[in-house]
Amino acid sequence: MKKRGRGIGLSFYGTGYGNGFPDASKAKVKLLKDGKVGIYVGGTEVGQGAKTVLSQIGSETLKLPLDKIIFISEDTSLMPDSGTAAASRQTYNTGNAIKIACENFKNRLREAAREQLKLNAIHGLTVEKGEIYLEFFPQKRISFKELSKIYGDDNIEAEGEFIAQTIEMDPETGQGAPYWPYTFNACGVELEVDTITGLVEIERAVFAQDVGRAINPHLVEGQMDGGFAMALGYVLFEDLKLEKGKIYNNKFSKYLIPTAMDMIQIENIIVEEPEYTAPFGAKGIGEPVMIPVGPAILNAIYDAIGVRITELPVTPERLIKAIEEDGKKKEEI
Amino acid sequence: MQAYRGKTIEEVIQLLAKYKGKVIAGGTDLIIDLRNGKLTSDTLIDISSIEELRRVEEYDETINIGAATTFTQIIENPLFQENLYGLKRACNTVGSPQIRNKGTIGGNIANGSPAADSIPPLLCLDSIIVLESIKGKREIGLEDYYKDNISIKEDELIISVQFKKPDKGQILSFAKLGLRKALAISRLSIATLLELDENNKVKTIKIASGSLGRYPMREPIVEEFLLGRELTVDVTDKAVKVLQQVMGERLGGRSTLPYKRIAVERIFKEALGDGLKRLKGVEIW
Repeated sequence: MKKRGRGIGLSFYGTGYGNGFPDASKAKVKLLKDGKVGIYVGGTEVGQGAKTVLSQIGSETLKLPLDKIIFISEDTSLMPDSGTAAASRQTYNTGNAIKIACENFKNRLREAAREQLKLNAIHGLTVEKGEIYLEFFPQKRISFKELSKIYGDDNIEAEGEFIAQTIEMDPETGQGAPYWPYTFNACGVELEVDTITGLVEIERAVFAQDVGRAINPHLVEGQMDGGFAMALGYVLFEDLKLEKGKIYNNKFSKYLIPTAMDMIQIENIIVEEPEYTAPFGAKGIGEPVMIPVGPAILNAIYDAIGVRITELPVTPERLIKAIEEDGKKKEEI
Repeated sequence: MQAYRGKTIEEVIQLLAKYKGKVIAGGTDLIIDLRNGKLTSDTLIDISSIEELRRVEEYDETINIGAATTFTQIIENPLFQENLYGLKRACNTVGSPQIRNKGTIGGNIANGSPAADSIPPLLCLDSIIVLESIKGKREIGLEDYYKDNISIKEDELIISVQFKKPDKGQILSFAKLGLRKALAISRLSIATLLELDENNKVKTIKIASGSLGRYPMREPIVEEFLLGRELTVDVTDKAVKVLQQVMGERLGGRSTLPYKRIAVERIFKEALGDGLKRLKGVEIW
């Protein structure tokens, strides 16, 4: 028989290392010879979109178009450390570091402009679209390009560092506030269970994710789709078949991950409630997007067939076994 | 390792006689074996550019599929849209588009896997395979080929697979249980060839299974059970029980049996139901 069910999963998740662990990101910003600006961070792009989002944060802070920004994150000889691309922390932590570095860099530019424009002070100097000008007398202006001709490409630079505020939990009681900030999400799933083959067919999924602020909504949706697909794999497909320490499903013809054919169109909802300690309000969502999907699927399976699954993945074979065992238990009662 | 690209069948059988090499067409299984160091021969003979082996030919009474015909070619051929639809459906469940573009029907036979998707429909059609070596041509039944333990001699080339065209009232169907929607090795598969008489009783029934034994095979006991009966819900349920009994005896003791014994009901009914639906134009169960 084919039975339908619905389920919901909820989660909240802390951004960064947390629990008092030192969590620092550094960034360096430099005026390059053609008037472009180089941003250097040791924040690895692993496909999550760090390069895009971190460039956007630099661009927004410097009020400079993206094509005037050279973003470098692969060469450790050029850049300070920005910590790992892990713990959902790059957008929040390194984003903050870039924002601070860019603000410091703007002050360095103002200093240079004051000198070249023969001004008494830096107040009233606006940095915008590759130029520095005096707000109440805009004829007094100088471009990044002109400054780079005068100063060369190694003289106007600034660094920024962001250290996350996290507190170690009380080792005795386990109480405390290990993370800041948190993100929140909810996932709802509708599915069909074939009680003869044990196949589970996801028919609809709605996924709401709090991101603080979506620096790049398209990438946020990409993360949500990716988190769902990954969870789909670990809940329904990916089985190492570990027996006495030996992995039997040791190749991708046996260790099944979902294909594009197994994935469905997710109805994504981005919830924006800017976080005041975050760069433009943005929190990390790399890991959280995977968490509520499993519970949602398992709850929906329970809703469909009344059997609680307690071991993952729910392969068709395991599901049939669970249904059989449940039937026997009910007979005994 | 040496590799030859054969331009004609004649050239290939000469090469085979000389080197006892391994024939390669799509390479979707062979290349993996090669990488895993499982290939016993150090000579490869590529047949993928021999046009004669890469086409489907229709005659008055028979259809002849060249051994190096790809699954995609079969899927796209209008010959398999109507009552031979089950073969198209089986070929369409092979691997992924990339594998279907390269993999061939002859390779599916030569590889000898119990899970080969295209074989159960071909068994329902009582297909024969045509082999050629320097000693000449020979034909063997596909069913016998499996029973005789993959009986191709090392100097023989599979030229084609042939079968008699089914009558208009006979419908070939196929259903497969894979654990995901693409790139899934069949856990079990069923093909049926069904014809009803004017009283809605089963006039012709051929049933073949995949992954329910050491090789794909016909299920004569189930066929016999269904012959002459009307395919009511009750009769179909009983046929499932017969099949479960047969496979239970065959697979006794295997860890996969308990699951397959249950799941086979869906796949058997899907194949048979699909045939019935196409014959009568309505969904029955």
